[in-house]
Amino acid sequence: MEGLGINLPQLIAQIVSFLVLFGLLYFFAYKPILRMFDERSQRIKESVEQAEKVKEEAAAAEEENRKKLETAAKEGQEAIARAMRAGDEARQRAQQEAQVEAAGLVEKARQEIQRERDEVIGELRQEFADLAVAAAEKVIEKSLDKEAHRELIEKVLDESTGLDKE
Amino acid sequence: MGCSFPVLIVIIIIVLAVGVVSLLSGALGKAIVGDVGLPDIFTVDAPHVQLPAEEIGHIGPITITNTLIASWITIVVLVALAWAVTHRIKLIPSRLQSLLEFAIEWLLNLCTDVAGEKYGRRFFPIITTIFLFVIMNSWLSLVPGFGSITYTVAEHGEEHVMPLLRGANTDINFTLALSIVSFIFVCYFGIRYSRLLFFKQFFNGGRFIRGHGLLFRGKVKAGFGSIGFGIIDMFVGFLELISFFIRLVSFAFRLFGNMLGGEILILMMLFLMPYLLAVPFYGLELLVGAIQALIFGGLTLVFVTMAVTLHEHEEAH
Repeated sequence: MEGLGINLPQLIAQIVSFLVLFGLLYFFAYKPILRMFDERSQRIKESVEQAEKVKEEAAAAEEENRKKLETAAKEGQEAIARAMRAGDEARQRAQQEAQVEAAGLVEKARQEIQRERDEVIGELRQEFADLAVAAAEKVIEKSLDKEAHRELIEKVLDESTGLDKE
Repeated sequence: MGCSFPVLIVIIIIVLAVGVVSLLSGALGKAIVGDVGLPDIFTVDAPHVQLPAEEIGHIGPITITNTLIASWITIVVLVALAWAVTHRIKLIPSRLQSLLEFAIEWLLNLCTDVAGEKYGRRFFPIITTIFLFVIMNSWLSLVPGFGSITYTVAEHGEEHVMPLLRGANTDINFTLALSIVSFIFVCYFGIRYSRLLFFKQFFNGGRFIRGHGLLFRGKVKAGFGSIGFGIIDMFVGFLELISFFIRLVSFAFRLFGNMLGGEILILMMLFLMPYLLAVPFYGLELLVGAIQALIFGGLTLVFVTMAVTLHEHEEAH
């Protein structure tokens, strides 16, 4: 033991110096550094989680946008279809109205024509009767009772189909 | 080569010159070539090997030795390094902080890998202190000038010239102190977590006593069997106890022997052939210091882990 130099006070001094080093390092190195490790890993965890959250939010927002776009497109198409349908209807209605109007016009024209024709025929008949009475007066020189004459002529005209009323 | 041709030539010439000087001034060269009368400043004296640390002075009952001073210097260096980093510790580390953090993190991972998450953090401070203390002791003693500052003591009318500093690892008192710390550390955690099992691994007389009980109840065959195995158990426990205490010694002497041997080796090489021949041994000693620190810390870690997980082995049986 002497040859190696083991002695108790030295041994105790070295144990004490180890404990001093232990204590000092514990407070100056291990504690702060371990706390730093924990803090850092906590931070990293938080950032990763936050990044994950942001990513999820972005994905959700994108999804929402996509849906909005889809609905907008659908609505747009519907609006177009509705407009086209409305246009068709309007055209058809206009067509119908036009047809109805045209038919009305034609009818009116035909009635006008009919009326004018009747008028003309009536006048013609009047004139023709007068003419016939004058001619007959001339022929027989005898003035018939104008009223009796007219009846006679009417009768004749009624029998003949050519200048029929109606 | 990373340098221009003339620079290379100059480097080669310098190395050759140093080689020639170291060959001529070393003991080896002198034996081969003979003394060519180089100035004394180039020669290195033969190392004077002394196992106990040299005494420098006394403070009360404590003798101050050069190894004690060296260990205090190591403490100052380590604490200064730690303080320099942690008094303004930042989340985003500076270079020095990264260096220290790298070392601490590596040791922390070592502890948690070996001892598991639960115990790793508890063991970490002691293991790390052991590791840092040993490695810093051995590396600081390799710093040029460390061993060449001398101190003269007048004693009994004679003047003794001795180095003021000597690596603390080369003092058996230091290594023994460290192994006692490691021993107490293992015992403390072993008793704290394994309770009676910690003692049961050394004094395992359960089967021996049970055997007597069986004999008493008339089960002769089972009784003698149990007594037989009980004796083996007790013998194994005795061996465990001896090896447990032997560790104390083997820890101390492994470190002491390696570091003192390394120191003497370097001094020897300096004596035989100064400058050139010692360089590879300096590198070797860097490695040896790190390895010894790792062995001391690692073995302590392994033993303490074994001591706290005794119940797991028990369950496994």
